[in-house]
Amino acid sequence: MNDGANNKDRKCEIWAIGGGKGGTGKSFITSGIGTYLASKGGRVVLIDADLGGANLHTFLGVSKPINSLTDFFEKKASLKDIIVNCGVSDMRLISGAVGSLDSENIKYAQKLKFFKQIKTIDTDYILIDLGAGSHNNTIDAFLLADKMIIVTVPEITALENMYHFIKNVFFRKLKMTLGAHGMKDIIQDVWKSRETHGIKSLKDLIEYLRGSSIHVREILEKEMKNFKIHIILNQIRSSREIQIGMSVKSVCMKFLGFDARYAGYIEYDDCVLQCINKRQMFILTYPFSHITKAIGKLSENIIDGKQVSANKDEYAYRKI
Amino acid sequence: MPIEKYNKYFEALELNQGATQSDVRNAYLYLKALYSNDSIVTSALAYEFSEEKKQSILEEIEDAYARLTEFFESRSDEPVCKEKPSFAGEDEVKEYISGIASFDGASLKQIREKLRVTLKDMAVFTKVRRQYFEDIELERFSALPAEVYLRGYIMEYARYLSLDPVKVADDYMQRYRSDIKAKDKQY
Repeated sequence: MNDGANNKDRKCEIWAIGGGKGGTGKSFITSGIGTYLASKGGRVVLIDADLGGANLHTFLGVSKPINSLTDFFEKKASLKDIIVNCGVSDMRLISGAVGSLDSENIKYAQKLKFFKQIKTIDTDYILIDLGAGSHNNTIDAFLLADKMIIVTVPEITALENMYHFIKNVFFRKLKMTLGAHGMKDIIQDVWKSRETHGIKSLKDLIEYLRGSSIHVREILEKEMKNFKIHIILNQIRSSREIQIGMSVKSVCMKFLGFDARYAGYIEYDDCVLQCINKRQMFILTYPFSHITKAIGKLSENIIDGKQVSANKDEYAYRKI
Repeated sequence: MPIEKYNKYFEALELNQGATQSDVRNAYLYLKALYSNDSIVTSALAYEFSEEKKQSILEEIEDAYARLTEFFESRSDEPVCKEKPSFAGEDEVKEYISGIASFDGASLKQIREKLRVTLKDMAVFTKVRRQYFEDIELERFSALPAEVYLRGYIMEYARYLSLDPVKVADDYMQRYRSDIKAKDKQY
């Protein structure tokens, strides 16, 4: 789904922001990246796909829009009809404010229709803000993206949930990829009998599958090559914690066995919460703050596929 | 030597091929610390992170570092002079040295070149890694080892060129510290 080939003729790029744990700053970062991209002349549509607790509009400082995904899922409105303006020029919002529904109750057909309509929105960037948890609907929305971004914080619980989330994402992608080639059950079967094959981790599984047949190996090489996760480390409280992002990236590559980039980090600041509570947009209220700059820098890194470079990053000298 | 052969070692240290020897060293030290100690990054995956898995990652890192060090050192194959140079008949150099108020990386490099000494000569004689001397000359402060070691290396450098080791080290360390301080302040 995110293999680029399908999306070649569309110039619109989908970014999905997930990460498994709630409260790590996904919505804050989504609104920040959106504002940054809009300020650079891109047209942006934000989609609040955190159906259980949608409040992206609060981060944007606007009141709960009248139209939301409720109308899409329950009243059969089209996505285009529920896009609202949100105070930043060139940035629009599809609110997720859903009362009765959460992401687990969405039917398969509705989900497909949702994904199909997302791809028809006329804009340059679509940012999908995902909820916490690793439900299949969340994962599928994540896999829809051209740029898969995870937000985590330097806390062990957040890291646990994040690993769980990206493992599920990767597993589902594998299943979908092999399923598309008529080998839907192969992973399930191998995974069930993993002990007999000596498979202990996701990386072992990939290696086993690679070795199982040339056909499978070719598919994996072709389809999984583009699987790349962009990591954002939020709420760091000391410059030492910058390295945690590098370490997470290293573990993703060495242990989980897929490509990861450390897009950037954002430091902790009480001002962020104050802004949110006052329903002011942080990035517009403090345009010259380190946080605003960091959001710009990490957005650029995501666009260019670059990352925070180890040890010689200029920021590393800054005392936080 | 074909660099392609070394791609996988650069990859193992999560570097691209443009990496310098000090990048390689930094990446090695960093990864080694990451996979030999416990941190929240690895313990969050602890139930899967077996000792043997860690061990095999560490071996891979060690191997990559050894191969790449070999690679960088083999690239300079100038003949080695095992004697310490003498100042006899080098009046011009003596004059140059006496004109230096405070030693820095550039002036050390100048003196060394005037005495026609290669970094490799010094490395072989002093048994200090060539890369450190190069980093000292180029004042790549962030790549240099901890202060206590650095001071020792600079003194070795100075002794080899028959300079006053204490004076050279004091001058250099002052530059080093003010640079680090400036970087702290800058942000």
